[in-house]
Amino acid sequence: MPHSAPLEEHHFEALGARCGLFAVGLSKDRLVEGELWTVRLGARLTRFSRDSELSRFNASAGTWVEVSGDLEALLRESLHAFETSGGLVNVAVLPSMIGIGYTKPLSSGRLAATVTEMRPPPALPAVLEVKRRAARLEPGAGIDLGGIAKGWMADRLCDALGPNALANLGGDLSAGGPGPAGDGWPVGLAGVTVLLREQGAATSSVRRRRWGDGQHHLIDPRTGRPAKTGLEEVSVVAATGVEAEVVAKTALLIGPELAPVFCAARAMAWWLSH
Amino acid sequence: MRAAALKAGATVLTVATTVMSALYVTAHLKNPAAPLQPTVLRSAGSSTVAGPGGTLTLGPSVQPSDVQPVTSTYAS
Repeated sequence: MPHSAPLEEHHFEALGARCGLFAVGLSKDRLVEGELWTVRLGARLTRFSRDSELSRFNASAGTWVEVSGDLEALLRESLHAFETSGGLVNVAVLPSMIGIGYTKPLSSGRLAATVTEMRPPPALPAVLEVKRRAARLEPGAGIDLGGIAKGWMADRLCDALGPNALANLGGDLSAGGPGPAGDGWPVGLAGVTVLLREQGAATSSVRRRRWGDGQHHLIDPRTGRPAKTGLEEVSVVAATGVEAEVVAKTALLIGPELAPVFCAARAMAWWLSH
Repeated sequence: MRAAALKAGATVLTVATTVMSALYVTAHLKNPAAPLQPTVLRSAGSSTVAGPGGTLTLGPSVQPSDVQPVTSTYAS
């Protein structure tokens, strides 16, 4: 049954990407509040600012430090992602990111193409401990929350915006409720429109954020280097935004032979591009 | 004499049981067309479309639509 309430939408730039919030029967002010929440939390979770909560946590490696509830939840989500991906989604890739020259946002200028000697990052559970409102990193380790933060934030935003809303943070999206026409939220996936309802979607790709001689931002934790698996882009629909993000990245990293089987077990829809 | 008769009877009984068992099993072969896996492992209800750029698979809980999407998932 079509809904009589109008669809409100709000678009903005945050987390280094285009974002959009959509809701049925909600005021524009509520969506603007969602933007402010995104910008504020994004500023606390970025590794590109030395003053962010994440950067201060990385700089405090070796000691227990107090963390916010948001960072605690994200670190726990990261440990969960490590386990469910067999170690392929590993937020402890920050040293590798810096090693390939990804030291600042791509929007702020060209990156150095120099690559230092790379090593696989350590297993996340070996270098990260999380307690209630406190966490500890082993010396030498570093965290880059990357897409996990986007998916997790999209899920939180979607919940906060009410029973019929969609949050899209740089392609990581979460859809709740029946959508504008009552049959689900129409979302583009690999050029096809699909209807999402209480589901999330995400895309992992090596086609964006490229620089130098074949460098890109997606590190393969097995090598510590930018991934070369035969897949270039994977889009996934799953139960939540953060789960879609983890499944998409894992599928891209395990390559074209195993990705269809993995996606069949973990995803509700998937696009595999070579 | 009696012991020999008992041995002969036991032998006949054993051979008869073996033959009858073989005949029974042969007459009740397991269905060779039976599935080798539970049907739940099949991708029932999913559809796969292969294009020049890749392969899109939609499971039964994700329905395609003709309407214009309000937004898309993309790499950022």
